[in-house]
Amino acid sequence: MKPKILLFDVGGCEGCPMTVLRSLPSIKDRVELYAKQLGNFDPEDKYDIVLVTGSICINDEHMVNILKRIRENTEILVAFGSCAAVGGVTRFCRGGQEPRPEHRVFQPISSVVEVDYAIPGCPPAPQILNTIINNLTGRAGPFLRIFAAVAKSKKLSGFDLLDDVVLSGLCIGCGACVLSCPTGALQMIEKKPDLIVEKCIRCGTCYVRCPRASQVLLKKYPVQLKVLVKEV
Amino acid sequence: MLGVAMTQKTLRELDRIGGDAQLYIIHDDDRIIDAYFITTAPVRGFEKIVLGKNPLFVIEAVMRICGICHAAHGIAAVEAFEDALGIMPPANGRRLREVIGLLNRVQSHLYHLTLLLPDILPNEILGKKLLELINLINKVNDVMMRIGGAPTHPPYIAIGGVLKMPTETVINDSKKKVADIIKRYIDYREGLREFIDKCSSAVKLKKQYLSSDADILATHLFYGDRYAFDPSKITVKRYDEYRENKEIGSKSTSMIALYDDRIVEASPRARLQLFREYSGKSLWDLQEARFVEIELVLHRILELLDRIRPNAPHRTGTLVYEHGEGIGVYEAPRGTLVHFVELNDDGRVLKYKIIVPTMFNIPVLEKSLINLEPSLGDLAVRLFDPCVPCSTHYLRVRK
Repeated sequence: MKPKILLFDVGGCEGCPMTVLRSLPSIKDRVELYAKQLGNFDPEDKYDIVLVTGSICINDEHMVNILKRIRENTEILVAFGSCAAVGGVTRFCRGGQEPRPEHRVFQPISSVVEVDYAIPGCPPAPQILNTIINNLTGRAGPFLRIFAAVAKSKKLSGFDLLDDVVLSGLCIGCGACVLSCPTGALQMIEKKPDLIVEKCIRCGTCYVRCPRASQVLLKKYPVQLKVLVKEV
Repeated sequence: MLGVAMTQKTLRELDRIGGDAQLYIIHDDDRIIDAYFITTAPVRGFEKIVLGKNPLFVIEAVMRICGICHAAHGIAAVEAFEDALGIMPPANGRRLREVIGLLNRVQSHLYHLTLLLPDILPNEILGKKLLELINLINKVNDVMMRIGGAPTHPPYIAIGGVLKMPTETVINDSKKKVADIIKRYIDYREGLREFIDKCSSAVKLKKQYLSSDADILATHLFYGDRYAFDPSKITVKRYDEYRENKEIGSKSTSMIALYDDRIVEASPRARLQLFREYSGKSLWDLQEARFVEIELVLHRILELLDRIRPNAPHRTGTLVYEHGEGIGVYEAPRGTLVHFVELNDDGRVLKYKIIVPTMFNIPVLEKSLINLEPSLGDLAVRLFDPCVPCSTHYLRVRK
């Protein structure tokens, strides 16, 4: 039986759900995808993997409760995209806006429920979903370890990359971070990355892409890998 | 016999629309008496996020209001900043930006069609047709990747033009790809035709007309023109104030926009009616207009790509940050989108307001549902293509 995957948005921009739908042609033979966008979502059903997109507004009790119920009903919960994984651009939210000025605090979903894997990206490339599904249903690869560590870290940005890798002398100047940045906030200055600070939206993509930073992450957050236990 | 129809109230979670919303209808067996479209997505408050920030950040941030019409917000924002700072992009920059915006329009309309397919197609072929459509969207995304820098939230949109000029090879490749997309799209659309003709809900909605209380609002066929209307005539109300119903209305996280104190439809249909003599006025014609517009827009993209001059500038060189006020008006996939900005003496954001088309369209949508069969309510909402992530992220404007 194919594993059941639910795509659920708790309040993002819908860019990440679109990425998941875009990858449908390449994952359709291996999983059953459920989503509001496909019209086949049942909140009471149990799912093997849930991809949650968007960050959670903890002032919105209704959504917090739905998220908790989804956690109870799923085996593996993946925070998909920067908002769900590390807060992303919603790290800048301050509330105060009509008609819901009380919606002040937006957090990565790991602040509310236990998250098994967190995948930053604004939005993540559709191909990554393929890799994740392969790893979760087959042999767990080193990829998963990094995403499990991101789930524990809760926040990552270009500043963290500079602090932990460039300023600490670990940077090898490979340029992977510059290529990965979705806003063009990183540039190479004298063979080392530098941050255009006003363009960084705190998505954390660069940190995960950096071969050195991801190792720092693994050292900081030793993790146990969780994969689907049932035969699939 | 007692011929009294029982009035019922039904609250439904809507699916297959952009974002989270509920439809609350008061109805009897045959028809809807009143309808409330209630958005439930949390308010991230982008107008507050951008206060005190540098315009460079604002462009990246507002694009993330919406993952469906990202480029529209990006372009409206840069237009507002350019208006505030007195900057005029060179021809290449202006054209490439239009290409990016129109690719986004095609992405959005095709994505909306994926949400609509289950209403049109029988189950046996739904899966196959859905995959075909996603493959077509992926082809559009590929062109957007080359011209805009990314398929979603394209980073090349910049104040003064575009950040990067595509090479001649990229432009030529893109032209070939767009020509191929046109062919595939027309085949796909014509393939749907027989199913639409047989679809009983579509047939019924072809006979149901849009609310006659609504005017239409559109400023340009392809881009946006701030002089085609008077932005100062826009007023914004809380949803519960507009509906004069605190109990139900206060559940909504979005606000309502009126133009000259009237409800207005801002949509692809409105654009075509104003600029292309499109005459369809039924609910289903909202979708027919998207079908027409996709083809028109793809041809416009080809025309624009032909007019890119490889050695001419793509961006205005000098940016001075200073005090200023500006308005950016852009025709987003769903209709007229307006960004207002005021900058302080350091060129940082002092005030920011965003009016999105769904704010105009919610009242039209609700009025158009009246007298409709209750079972058609969901589909009728879907035909308006409301965008919840957008509509829940703006500020109250006082007259």
